[in-house]
Amino acid sequence: MISMKSLAKLIFRTTPLLLALVALQPTIFASVDDAQSFALQAAEPYVKQGFQVREDYWGGDLASGEKKAVRQQLFKGNEYWFWLGTEVDKAKVSVHVYDSDGKLAEEPDGWEKGHFAAAHVIPKATGSYFIIVSVEESPEERTHWALVYGFR
Amino acid sequence: MCTAAVPVKVCSINPEYEPEINSRKCQMTPFTKHLKLGVGVICGLAMCAGAAQAPQHIDIKQLTTTVEDVVVPLPNEIFGALNKLGAVNWKQHVRSDKGPNFTERPRIALLLGTVIADGFIAVQAEDAPTVKDIGQRVLALAKGIGVGNSITPHAKAIVEAADKRNWENVRQELDRTQNSVQQAMNEVHDEKLSQLVSLGGWLRGTEVLTSVVKEHFSSDGAELLHQPDLLSYFQTRLQNMPEFNVPIIRQIQDALGEVKPLIDVGDRRIPPDSVKKVNEITTRLGHGIVTRD
Repeated sequence: MISMKSLAKLIFRTTPLLLALVALQPTIFASVDDAQSFALQAAEPYVKQGFQVREDYWGGDLASGEKKAVRQQLFKGNEYWFWLGTEVDKAKVSVHVYDSDGKLAEEPDGWEKGHFAAAHVIPKATGSYFIIVSVEESPEERTHWALVYGFR
Repeated sequence: MCTAAVPVKVCSINPEYEPEINSRKCQMTPFTKHLKLGVGVICGLAMCAGAAQAPQHIDIKQLTTTVEDVVVPLPNEIFGALNKLGAVNWKQHVRSDKGPNFTERPRIALLLGTVIADGFIAVQAEDAPTVKDIGQRVLALAKGIGVGNSITPHAKAIVEAADKRNWENVRQELDRTQNSVQQAMNEVHDEKLSQLVSLGGWLRGTEVLTSVVKEHFSSDGAELLHQPDLLSYFQTRLQNMPEFNVPIIRQIQDALGEVKPLIDVGDRRIPPDSVKKVNEITTRLGHGIVTRD
């Protein structure tokens, strides 16, 4: 049986740790899921325009200046938007789409702002495309990102 | 499952970068949860935000040696493109027979992918009774593979949406169903079964695509078959499944080898004969997937 004195000691010793955990909680528990929430926020207005947003998404974390490529099959006749999100404040992220020859394949109305970036593609041919995601700048050592896409 | 603060290693996209930081098919957050958040804010952002200048050209050769993964499209992504080429009589492609009950998990996974694709076809045909049957069939197959719990709410939602003839919701729930099945499989390290679900859906989608294009041939329709990287992706995955000793898996593996030269044509057009051959092959495989050996 634990005595009252031991219990008090235990509480005394663990309280600062618990407080520290609570204070650090947003940092520690930030995840790709949070980044996905931002990516989905970016997608919301487009749903009203008839875009079907895939449930599947791709994510991870990158250091500032790092890029990642996702290869994707796109179909001529469809129209696609790719939305990139991060939960990190003051991070700058970008997403761009290239065809299988390495030529920029996106429409000029892509955008980047705050937690979000988006690229718009109307494929001129059916085939493989490369979605390049990048963390351009970030106050964090590693920055979570998530990419979702929609089509119509 | 993608839990907070624990990056999930599910599939590496690019080994040039640290593969352990990549995650895919993490726990889904229902999209509707986000619908009420910040629509106006995003609209505003989109209007006032521009994109930094991206390079007009990048060295893909360098990239293609390092990018491993490819995103498998949903069948309705292909069907949507097909619809834009002209009216399609989707009703003639609807399939609602229940098929046999398999005990081998790879066979169930393949069939599950096929049945989900059938769900998308039934949605295109706006066939509510078939959609409802497919919802129940998906649930039974998911139970057979041990992931029924994650599918129950989706199956219910499919039936409800079909009753209301809310086709957009049915499409969304079918997407969620496939995602939840694959997520549940990945969680228990059944990634290979998850890949078979995708393969089953892709084969059924390709069977219907080629059937439609074969009947009313057009170069644009045939071009939708130009999916060589997807084919290579499935071939590679099947090569890594030696433990699945079921004939249909090997038949698919051999058949993909037959399909590859027919659709991997570079800048050339895919001719009607190739479409016909791919249709014959995928129809044969489709029959094999739904039929007991």
